[in-house]
Amino acid sequence: MIEFEHVSKVYESKGSAEGVRALDDVTFVIQKGEFVCFVGPSGAGKSTLLHLLVREELPTEGQIRVGGKNLLRLRRRSIPRLRRLIGVIFQDGRLLPDRTVFHNVALALRVHGAARADVRWRTQHALRAVGLVPKEGAYPWALSGGERQRVAIARALVREPVLLLADEPTGDLDDDSAGEIMELFKVVNTRGTTVVVATHEQGLAARMRQRTIQLMAGRVVKDSGGPV
Amino acid sequence: MSRVSFLLGETGLTIRQSGWISVVAILLTALSFTTVGLFLWLARMLGSAEAHWRGEMRIVAYLNDEANAESLLQTVRGWPEVREARLVTKAEALERLRGYLADRRELLGSLPSNPLPASLELGLAADAVTPEETQALAGRVGRLRGVDEVQYTAEWVERLDRWRRVLSAVGLGVGGFLALAAVLTVTTSATLATHARRREMEVMRLVGSGEGLIRGPFLLQGMIQGIVGALVALGCLVVAEIVLAPRLAPLLALTLGLEPVTFLSPRDGAVLLAGGAVLGGLGSLLAVGRGMRP
Repeated sequence: MIEFEHVSKVYESKGSAEGVRALDDVTFVIQKGEFVCFVGPSGAGKSTLLHLLVREELPTEGQIRVGGKNLLRLRRRSIPRLRRLIGVIFQDGRLLPDRTVFHNVALALRVHGAARADVRWRTQHALRAVGLVPKEGAYPWALSGGERQRVAIARALVREPVLLLADEPTGDLDDDSAGEIMELFKVVNTRGTTVVVATHEQGLAARMRQRTIQLMAGRVVKDSGGPV
Repeated sequence: MSRVSFLLGETGLTIRQSGWISVVAILLTALSFTTVGLFLWLARMLGSAEAHWRGEMRIVAYLNDEANAESLLQTVRGWPEVREARLVTKAEALERLRGYLADRRELLGSLPSNPLPASLELGLAADAVTPEETQALAGRVGRLRGVDEVQYTAEWVERLDRWRRVLSAVGLGVGGFLALAAVLTVTTSATLATHARRREMEVMRLVGSGEGLIRGPFLLQGMIQGIVGALVALGCLVVAEIVLAPRLAPLLALTLGLEPVTFLSPRDGAVLLAGGAVLGGLGSLLAVGRGMRP
């Protein structure tokens, strides 16, 4: 599903001629249907890795393949097609504050021209999966942190992506809410979706008992290789 | 269809979010088009007067008493620049004067003899109505034996033409300047809208939306602003026509011998609306092309 082959990413920096090396010679393979946690402190390169996966950025060196597509050879106009395969969740949820829960989730379908009835049915299905049907008319500011994150998950899942990427999805949540979110990812994964979670919470990743890749200063320092 | 309704819905949202800057863009577009429309109307009226008077243009050659009028008439009728030629005898000239004087005809009764000269009135062919051609022809007529004096009316028709050109240029200049201001306002409006909806665009990109759907609402916003501005201008021009035309009619008939010229034909209206769409679209294009890299 995902192949990283000697990938490095260097950001230009005013203070340094060599720049800032966010990823350094990273190589791994994630198979279809796997659940993988990338663990590491801030600045380890977790977010950079996810940005590369959705082709928001290009690597300085190395090759990346997602679903058999080489992202370096991907034309700009083909990027939306790649992103339709992927559901993305961020720590802040990135919900639109002036739209209800329903419309935040439905946006992911409406931009693809889904029919009105289809949008309604699939959005409600996604909200049911995250337990938020009763709140479909609420605005994001009226929700708790855990609920907002569940809306973001519903939006990522509503198009039934083959790959789900989550960047610090539990960063702002208490332990109970974080546990619920991670359980939700497990359910998604059992239905066949490949799940990649980036988190700084090593304990949380350990509790998931899934494959864990540890990053430190842009390098892979440990790969459990499979569920632990 | 769903994608179109989504696009239209997002466009409505963009316009609402732009608020007053949208209104300013519409007003500037309207001001620009109204200005151009008024100046072009004036220019068109002068053009119409000019065409009317060019058609009516005459060279009048006054003959002395020794002139062989019939022979001169045959001579000028043989020239290609002359469309028609007519002899006005001394008696006809006096009769015309009687007509002009109307109720003061008794003034003519005291004259010992008819003092008016006979004349030749020449109508010009279409290709001989430029000032140079008219002047050359008048010179030729003046050199004929028996011709005392020649008068012609080309000069002030050319002056009308110059005024028409000046008015067109001023109208296009001022209108163009205002149109530029309108384009920049639409650009500002679209730029502010893109900033206000940055997060939404980011989310749309992440869920795999194409750039057309992301940028489309901003382009449509500009085009709608331009079209609404053009509609407002159209309304102003129509009101101006309703108010001004009846008041100008007597003046135009007296000075230029014209009926008032219609402000705008349906074709002009269509051009105005298309111009508004292009102007607004251009303004938005400047904003989305500059500040919305994926």
